[in-house]
Amino acid sequence: MAREYDHLFKLLIIGDSGVGKSSLLLRFADNTFSGTYITTIGVDFKIRTIEVEGTKVKLQIWDTAGQERFRTITSTYYRGTHGVIVVYDVTSADSFVNVKRWLHEIDQNCDVVNRILVGNKNDCPERKVVETGDAQRFADQMGIKLFETSAKENINVEEMFNEITRQVLHQKKETQAKLAAQTNETIKLDKHKGHKRRRCGAVGCKM
Amino acid sequence: MDPSGTVQETLAVEEKCVSAVDAVLVQELVQGSRVVALVEAKTGFGFFMYSTKRMPVQGSDLTLEKVIPVKEDFTVEVINDPAKAHLIGSDVPVKVCGSGQVLTLELPFGSKSGNFLTALRRAISLYTSKPPAGVLQPFAWLQKYTQKLATTDLTEFDPLSSPSQQTSQDWPWSALVKPPSGPTTPVAFAENMGMEGFEDNFADKLSVQSSSTSWEDTSSQQDPWTEVDSEADGGSSEPVVRGGSVSTMGPMLANRPSVREPIVRMYMLKEEAKYTHLKTFRIFAGTWNVNGQPATESLKAWLASDSTPPDLYAVGFQELDLSKEAFLFNDSAREEEWVKAVTHGLHPGASYRRVRLIRLVGMMLLVFVRSEHNKFLSQIEAQTVGTGIMGKMGNKGGVAVRFDFHNTSFCIVNSHLAAHTELYERRNQDYSDICARMQFNLTQPPLTIHKHNVVLWVGDLNYRLSDIENNEVKMLIDKKMFSDLLTHDQLTRQMAEGNVFHDFSEANVNFIPTYKYDPGTDDWDTSEKCRVPAWCDRVLWKGDSVSAVEYRSHRSLKLSDHKPVSCLFDIGVKVIDEDNYKRVFEEVIRKLDRLENEFLPSVSLSCVELKFEHIKFLEPQKRTIIITNTGQVPCQFEFICKLDEKEYCKPWLSVEPYLGFIMPGDSYPIEFEVYVDKNTAGRLNSGEDRLEDILVLHLDGGKDYFVTVQGDYIPSCFGSSVEALCNMRGPIREVPVARLVDLEAGSPSKTSPEDSFDPLPIPKEIWLLVDHLYKHALRQEDLFQQPGLHSEIEEIRDCLDTGIPDTIPGRPHSVAECLLMFLESLPEPVIPHQYYQSCLDSCSNFELCKQLMSQVPEHHKNVFKYLTAFLRELLSYTDDNKLDPKTLAMIFGVLLLRPKRDENRRHNNQQTTRRRATFVYQFLVNPYDG
Repeated sequence: MAREYDHLFKLLIIGDSGVGKSSLLLRFADNTFSGTYITTIGVDFKIRTIEVEGTKVKLQIWDTAGQERFRTITSTYYRGTHGVIVVYDVTSADSFVNVKRWLHEIDQNCDVVNRILVGNKNDCPERKVVETGDAQRFADQMGIKLFETSAKENINVEEMFNEITRQVLHQKKETQAKLAAQTNETIKLDKHKGHKRRRCGAVGCKM
Repeated sequence: MDPSGTVQETLAVEEKCVSAVDAVLVQELVQGSRVVALVEAKTGFGFFMYSTKRMPVQGSDLTLEKVIPVKEDFTVEVINDPAKAHLIGSDVPVKVCGSGQVLTLELPFGSKSGNFLTALRRAISLYTSKPPAGVLQPFAWLQKYTQKLATTDLTEFDPLSSPSQQTSQDWPWSALVKPPSGPTTPVAFAENMGMEGFEDNFADKLSVQSSSTSWEDTSSQQDPWTEVDSEADGGSSEPVVRGGSVSTMGPMLANRPSVREPIVRMYMLKEEAKYTHLKTFRIFAGTWNVNGQPATESLKAWLASDSTPPDLYAVGFQELDLSKEAFLFNDSAREEEWVKAVTHGLHPGASYRRVRLIRLVGMMLLVFVRSEHNKFLSQIEAQTVGTGIMGKMGNKGGVAVRFDFHNTSFCIVNSHLAAHTELYERRNQDYSDICARMQFNLTQPPLTIHKHNVVLWVGDLNYRLSDIENNEVKMLIDKKMFSDLLTHDQLTRQMAEGNVFHDFSEANVNFIPTYKYDPGTDDWDTSEKCRVPAWCDRVLWKGDSVSAVEYRSHRSLKLSDHKPVSCLFDIGVKVIDEDNYKRVFEEVIRKLDRLENEFLPSVSLSCVELKFEHIKFLEPQKRTIIITNTGQVPCQFEFICKLDEKEYCKPWLSVEPYLGFIMPGDSYPIEFEVYVDKNTAGRLNSGEDRLEDILVLHLDGGKDYFVTVQGDYIPSCFGSSVEALCNMRGPIREVPVARLVDLEAGSPSKTSPEDSFDPLPIPKEIWLLVDHLYKHALRQEDLFQQPGLHSEIEEIRDCLDTGIPDTIPGRPHSVAECLLMFLESLPEPVIPHQYYQSCLDSCSNFELCKQLMSQVPEHHKNVFKYLTAFLRELLSYTDDNKLDPKTLAMIFGVLLLRPKRDENRRHNNQQTTRRRATFVYQFLVNPYDG
């Protein structure tokens, strides 16, 4: 019987009010979409288990209130987060401008964390005002990956969550590998000593 | 989980945690989780108790609560509770006494607690047998721990107080926490943890433990990643994520892997058909009672008599060894040679691997599998049950091996049941005992024989032929009329009657009885007893997709008084199709994820933004919101503290109830009350605080909701400072808010001409109140002692705040109370805080008192002079108003002289109260004019 999951990661979704954070979560966790807009006043979360590169990862995804007045409170939820999803609305230039502030917020509240930039509502070319090229240039500058999604049409949502999970997983594996390398070195040293002693013993026996 | 490692993290490097155990501290009405530990230093032992908010604990969760040196007065005693004595597995109540403290603890049942108690007793006996001689203060090392206790507010440990006061909580699996300084990548961070001296870290920890941000630093001692692992690895009952929160905020997953995994398994089992298909494997099951003989014959004739090599062998022996050693010590010299004989006797057409060997006295079972199938075998376990002498010994009974082959579970039993023709009921009983007592513990709950998909049961079952004469038996055998003979077979009869081997099947018995021969021959028993031949040796099975191919005896083997028997099976085994399995597994997990999301607690609130209008001093306003449990599970809600805050809301706000429990579908009113009193008015007047707050309503194991509270406060002279009021010619309501804030900040900006006037010597409000009393209440009895009317007090307040009245409304008692309240509400008391201690120190010396008063800022001094003059005036009417200096001094002492609010508790004792009164008393009985 395979184990239910190998890792448990916490992801956080942030971004301006109304960019579709809750919709992204709802699409990813429950595969549903609701056209009616309900402001999140608080912090919600859902879970979903996915498989990334043969590893089962249980994700606990937190959806935060985007309103400015809650910013000080929501920033306290950044702690212990493995990955942050910064969302803007491709039909709202303001929400894209504010991405910088959200990234700053991450720097203030998390030390090392994987980040991903998401332009949501990418389902209506006529209303799109944040050009992919501009967003991509910005993302490159900041050294993060960009995904343009639509929670409504279920475009790129799975891919985006998979990508951030992969990033978190890679970082974890790297950390573990480095740690293991360190301990290995110590063990090797010890072993070396052990071998020597045993060899001496064997020689003693022959005599 | 053993907490001693976590405890060790809290100790200095010279001290060692000998043993630690989770415990429950039993207090009057409540029980709280604790961790208790025995700590060893060079010069002695100490008993440490930590409070903890969470189980299992991490270093950052432990707060040292009690330290008791293990010396002559230290005792530990297990309380025998007769009411609980019969409950095996209940907690063990223990009383720990020492250094004047008595703690009642409950330790969890089990060896850990036992070890802990043993360690404690050993520490006590070490002390008594060898008291630390030559060391002046053997327990000096405890001081560094007790010092930490002294500075800690004990209320923190109150389990009834809001757990959210603890800011040092962290996610048990949180990673990537802030390192104290320097390293910015988790790698560097991890390196740091490994390389740094423990002492350095410990020093860090000590210094931060009292601060509210301690979690950042303490948790940095752990590898941010390993934590996650230990939880994901946990097949144990350790929770992945537990109640509590990111520093008290945020939801938690209620589910633990150990809770979900059996459900996953169950769902997967239900869907088995979707990802498995049957594949037939050939299995050889054999049994032979070898009568204690050495393995001198080749077993090929028995084990390899067919052309096709079987996929799996199950070979059972009985009476392998009849020696005393085998019986008494289960130690057999024969085992090895028979194993060798079997290994050599296996079919040469394939290579085999031994899966398991299990032996109980003379019963041995060997399982072999073709090498290429070995990797599909899992969960292998072997067990034995003795049913012989005393119903326990291993001369009779059964041995069994269970395993999963692909996705089909197998249990193979080899048994030797009771002997003697007439004892068939005993044999039935042996069978039942084996079934009842054979348990495999790899899984929870343990598996029994019958829980397996396929059961193969071989052995010398010892059932005989009854109601038939020996010669008649032999005659039927000669004529090969086995079916006639079988009507006399006890096993056939007992199975038909349903007394034994329910649901088992047996192939047609088409071979000559296998018992009893003269060893070395094919001749029937010629001994004195001249046994009637019988089919003692049998192979039975139970399960779907099992078909017997060949059931036979192997007469060419002659060394025993039994002939070996075998049954070849073709068994349909459920083979997993990897792709389908993955798909179904994903579906099941997805389904569970959805269920988990669906069953997260959820509520709706009738309103999340509360607006209060025109809040006045001492006038409470209430609003109610309705909380409805819209989820599918009962839920507990609580207003919790925001990070780094001590209370869940501002002091002018209260919420009733601030925590509660609601069943699905139920609603509950929550009342919010805004009430500005003397403690909060000052900050609101001065603009330091505003009537604005965001509360966090947390659902246990679920999400958080934010409730915004807003209101506008109408400033009042109550709660305003003496200086600010002296700078206002008109009533406070006519002063623009911005200027009010300036005034309170001590910078009276005299920009506009109407503001430019010399400050009043004392606040006009005090003058108005005192003057009224002077005019109307000098002879009033019980002045300052009888309470006023609330409505009149409100009226007086509005009157003072809105204008400069000629007369003040209300009866003298109401006016008197207003004056007291006014003085009490002053942010800086009449005698400012900075003089408080000096006043107390010199209260018995009037000259010193006067000197001190001369240093007090002018407006404050004026008020003091004015008030004491008025009180002396009052005292000249003692005959009428019955007031005496002591009473007045008591009343005004605590108003005029007040410690800072955060020092309040320390100063509110009788002694300081008396000295405050004495100070004022001096000015009532001595002439004073400043």
